[in-house]
Amino acid sequence: MSFNPLEQRGIPLDRQVRNWRELNVTPIDPDQCDPYTRCRIITMNGIEVEAILFGHQLARHCPDMEIKQQLARTRYIEAQQQKAVNWLLPGVSSVLETTIAYEQVAVDLTAWVARMEPDPYLKQAYQFGVLEDFDHLYRYANLYEMIEHRKAETIVDGLTEVMPGRPTPVHHRHPVDNVREPYDKTKAHPLSKLHALTVMSAEQQTMNFYMNTGPTYMEPIARQLYQEIGLIEEEHVTHYESLVDPGETWWEQLVNHEYNECYLYHSFMEQESDPKVKAIWELHLNMELEHLHIACDLMRRHDGREPAEVLAPELPDVLTFEPNKGYLRELIAEQLDLTTLGAGYVREAHERFESMQEALNGGGTTPSDRVLAEHDKLIGGDYRLQTEGEHPVAALRTEER
Amino acid sequence: MTAPADRAEDGRTTATTDPATDRNPTPDTDVVALLIAQHGQIRNLFDEVEQSSGDARRDAFRRLVRMLAVHETAEEEAVHPYVKRTADGGDDIVADRLGEEKTAKRTLSALEDLDPEDEAFLPRLLSLRTDVREHARAEERYEFNQLRRLNDPARLASLAKAVKAAESAAPTHPHPGVESGAMNAVLGPVAAIADRTRDAVRKAMGKDG
Repeated sequence: MSFNPLEQRGIPLDRQVRNWRELNVTPIDPDQCDPYTRCRIITMNGIEVEAILFGHQLARHCPDMEIKQQLARTRYIEAQQQKAVNWLLPGVSSVLETTIAYEQVAVDLTAWVARMEPDPYLKQAYQFGVLEDFDHLYRYANLYEMIEHRKAETIVDGLTEVMPGRPTPVHHRHPVDNVREPYDKTKAHPLSKLHALTVMSAEQQTMNFYMNTGPTYMEPIARQLYQEIGLIEEEHVTHYESLVDPGETWWEQLVNHEYNECYLYHSFMEQESDPKVKAIWELHLNMELEHLHIACDLMRRHDGREPAEVLAPELPDVLTFEPNKGYLRELIAEQLDLTTLGAGYVREAHERFESMQEALNGGGTTPSDRVLAEHDKLIGGDYRLQTEGEHPVAALRTEER
Repeated sequence: MTAPADRAEDGRTTATTDPATDRNPTPDTDVVALLIAQHGQIRNLFDEVEQSSGDARRDAFRRLVRMLAVHETAEEEAVHPYVKRTADGGDDIVADRLGEEKTAKRTLSALEDLDPEDEAFLPRLLSLRTDVREHARAEERYEFNQLRRLNDPARLASLAKAVKAAESAAPTHPHPGVESGAMNAVLGPVAAIADRTRDAVRKAMGKDG
């Protein structure tokens, strides 16, 4: 379906403020919902959080009072959108259950983006990152069974496999090696810009979530695992944000943000199975169309350029949450031993990598490995959900017990 | 490699815990870990009842009701009184939990005369599931954190022992001859389970408390 957000008008901004009744959304039922509904909620929360944070940074660099007021108006609506979206998550879920859902997002969102990304260098960045989120899901799933005595399959529901990816202890790279080369804003496919913004926002929100909820745990192993994976999420934010061309003007970035929000709400509206949630995606799309128009006007006024020059002529094919099991198994078989060197990728452990590993992991076992050891001691073996057969890497298969 | 001892000398060290001695609580020796584990088992049983049918569902439902009876009775006898006595605001915390338990019990009794095959069974089961889930989370967040804050591992261990004693004292099979209708199958036993659980907890608490 062809949909050009530049040609649509949404709800006028002065009619977008919602009252308490409208903001009081009914949360999804964690035991009966479609896991991908929860993934869409978490993704859109990450997108709205990025919209708010970006908007604040822009305002802090903006000397013009009238423009700051205009930005504040849109940003307030975005703050309401974030509340309506994230409050769809249920209070009865534990932090760890929400965490496992965050990792399911990271796996299936990044895998889908890697599959669809036209630029080979950017594609490699997503392929590299997804194998780490995949392993985080496995580690948290083991923690979940240890603490709550539930299996992660009750959350991911067989849509995403749970088994070892690139081992978490080797995710700790020298910070210099987390910085990638950016795409070229004049040559990049419009879809590439949307992908980079989307995955960056999702990882940023995951970083925020772990850094703030990790210490709410009482169990030492849980506190430590959140610390370890929280640090890796910072590496991921560095990795993905460096893909975005810093030469884009503030107004161009604003337009890209708003366009991406239209793209994602449109995508999720098209595929949403829960009618109450779908109604929110539709409402928010109609709000975003207006935010996009406002951003486009600001870009015309301040950059003297037509936004259509930097945007796609119509929305790309919808971004879809769906199982990526076969694709992930291929990546696991081929790319598990990759690390980064400078802006590129290598297979051998180089000196800078080794020294970072020694500084961080040299003093004893990492929390991510200890969670497996303690699971083994408490419950026996490790927790996995392998729906498509044995692990693609022979060394990571479970021995018969 | 920088050894921990060198770190102290170069002044970079801050107060940290040693992971080797930083023990994680286990259900065997810690009542909070044990009760959280039981919350997980209860949710697993709800899954089992929902996903099965016929005699398998009747059997799973009986096990669920037994587990609920044992769990709630053990909490009422062992955990709530301790929190009430020792935690700041313990009276109110426990009153809130008892209110939730009452709601859940009312929902359970709405399943009373229903056979698990009855078409009204599943909606009522889901409503029970919601009550139980909310109650369990509230306990974890507002009551169990108080238990941890009291920082008395020996007490948590003796409470765990009492709850475990209750678990093994409760009958695993309902009395014969009352299988017709779900609550007939469970009501007699629920009272019996509660009684035997109560006795077991009191005995264990008398010994260790």
